Order: sequence, then C-alpha cells, then structure tokens
Amino acid sequence: MPVSPVVEITFALSAALILLSSIAVVLIKNPVRATLMLILSFLPTSLVYILLQASFVGILQILVYAGAIMMLFTFVIMMINPSPKEGESPAGGSENAFSGLRGGLIGLAVVGLAGALVLPQVYHAASQVSVQPVSKPGFGELSSIAALLFEDPSNNPLTVSFELISFLILVGVIAALNFSRRKGSAPAKEDSITTRPTEALPLLKREPALDRK
Amino acid sequence: MSLFNLPLFSLPNCLALSLLLVLIGSYGVFRRHSLIMILLSVEVMLNGVNLSLVSFNFFRWGTTEASHYLYMLSIGVAAVEAAVGLSMIIVLFKNYNDISRERVAHLGERP
Repeated sequence: MPVSPVVEITFALSAALILLSSIAVVLIKNPVRATLMLILSFLPTSLVYILLQASFVGILQILVYAGAIMMLFTFVIMMINPSPKEGESPAGGSENAFSGLRGGLIGLAVVGLAGALVLPQVYHAASQVSVQPVSKPGFGELSSIAALLFEDPSNNPLTVSFELISFLILVGVIAALNFSRRKGSAPAKEDSITTRPTEALPLLKREPALDRK
Repeated sequence: MSLFNLPLFSLPNCLALSLLLVLIGSYGVFRRHSLIMILLSVEVMLNGVNLSLVSFNFFRWGTTEASHYLYMLSIGVAAVEAAVGLSMIIVLFKNYNDISRERVAHLGERP
C-alpha cells in the first residue's frame, strides 16, 4: 500500500511527540504539569487517528478526553492540592534518593525487559498479517458511524449496547454521589467506632456496669 | 523511508507505538506514589490500547467501523473510572489528609 511522504513524516513526528509527552507524564513530579503533558500527548494522538481515517474518533479524543476527562483531573488536583513530597518514600533520610533511584532502575529494567521480549513478537506477527486496505466508501465519517450504530435499531445489537453505556455512566454518577455524601445520618460518632478488636474489647466490658444503674 | 523494511506508517509501527504507551503507563502505575498520578498513568495505558484498536481497524478490517464503536465504549469506561476513582481520592483526602499509595496500604488503621 503506497503511503505519501507527508503521511509518513506526520506519523513519525506525532509518534515521537506522543512518546515524549507520555514519558513526561510518568516522570514529572508536579501533578498539574503531568496533566497538561497528558493533554499534550492527546493532541498528536488525535492526529494519528485522523491519519487512520478515524476523523470522528480524533474529534472525540480532543472534545471528550482532553476536554472533559482531563478537566475532571485538573479540578480534583486543584481541589486537594497534593503534597509536594510526591516521589519520596515515607522512610525519610538520605537513603531516600538512593532507594528511589534503585526502584526507578528496577522498574525501568522490568518494563524494558517486557518491551524487549514483546516488541519483536509484535513486529514479527504484525508483519505477517495481510494488510487489507479500507474498502468502505466514507470510512470513519460521522454518517457512516451513525449508520453502523443506529441503522435498523430494532435488530441492531450495537444500538442496545451503545445505549447501555449510559447506564454505566449512571452507575458511576450514583457511586460518586454515594462517596461524597455526608455521614450526618449515621447514628454514632466516628470516634466511638473502631475497627480494631483490641480497642473494642473495653467498650464491651463496660456494658454490664451500665446495666446495673 | 523505511524501518525494518516496512513503510513507516504501517500496522507494526502503530502496534509498537501502542505497546510502548502501555509499557510507559505501567511503569507509572508501579512507580508513582500519589493515587492521582497512578490514575493518570492508567489513562496513558488506555490511550495506547485505543490506538491499537483503531489501527487494527484501519489496516486489517477496513469494511466496518467496529473499532470506532469500541473506542466510544472505551472512553465511556474511562470517564466512569476517572469519576469514581477521583471521588474515592477526595474521600480518602477528606478522611486521612493523604493520598499516597503507602497510606492506602494501611487503610484499616487509625492515622
């Protein structure tokens, strides 16, 4: 399949930018900057989607992913203002830097080993796949995707499963509301409840004394 | 312009890019201490998986847009995961004033 050099260069630059900004997400200590780096990695990803003739997916990547989900992350980071100690182990002292460096090297070795084992397999297997170029007219356009999802809705299984995503989001909303609910309706104060059985024992011993009064 | 005797914009390169994204994200999941950064690394991994879905659809199964549908499903799951995870992080921060991985490991104990 002949590919024009413009597509090749765009893909190479986008891939390099995606990889660099994703590495920055993992390594940067400041959470706000890491979120901005993740948004920066989503922009060339949407460019790659457009090269893959998935223009609507590319638009969704920017609108929904970079616009909505990452904004949620930014809100929470600005709300709770995480501690600047990110990256340090709780032990403290001078062995901090050494243990952090050692952990980083071990993690890098494990991830690099996994990549070195899997990457040649991916190349070998994907090179043998017979490429079948896109044959559908209007592939990836909005009308085409809409026809795939909503054509003949009574017989189309994709319609039902697409609508079921809304139930998933509804469950997520209920879970988030339930987490954020104040526990004012709870009968006991938080201090009188303990989860350790050793601390709960004296509470049980006092009960007969209260009954005698 | 070729790499491994292939054109640059090809299925193996797209899959290698998505594999590298998943590996970078897994490094972040294993190495970061803050829960928010772990969630961000999970987003990086999800991004790689979505890229592999769409590239398979373009290079191999060009007769239907099944992967575009799967992508929408995936970002729906990612949105729900981010919302639930972040609300859990807010509750943890409200109760313990600390969202590090080490604090979560001792969740049942008093601070």
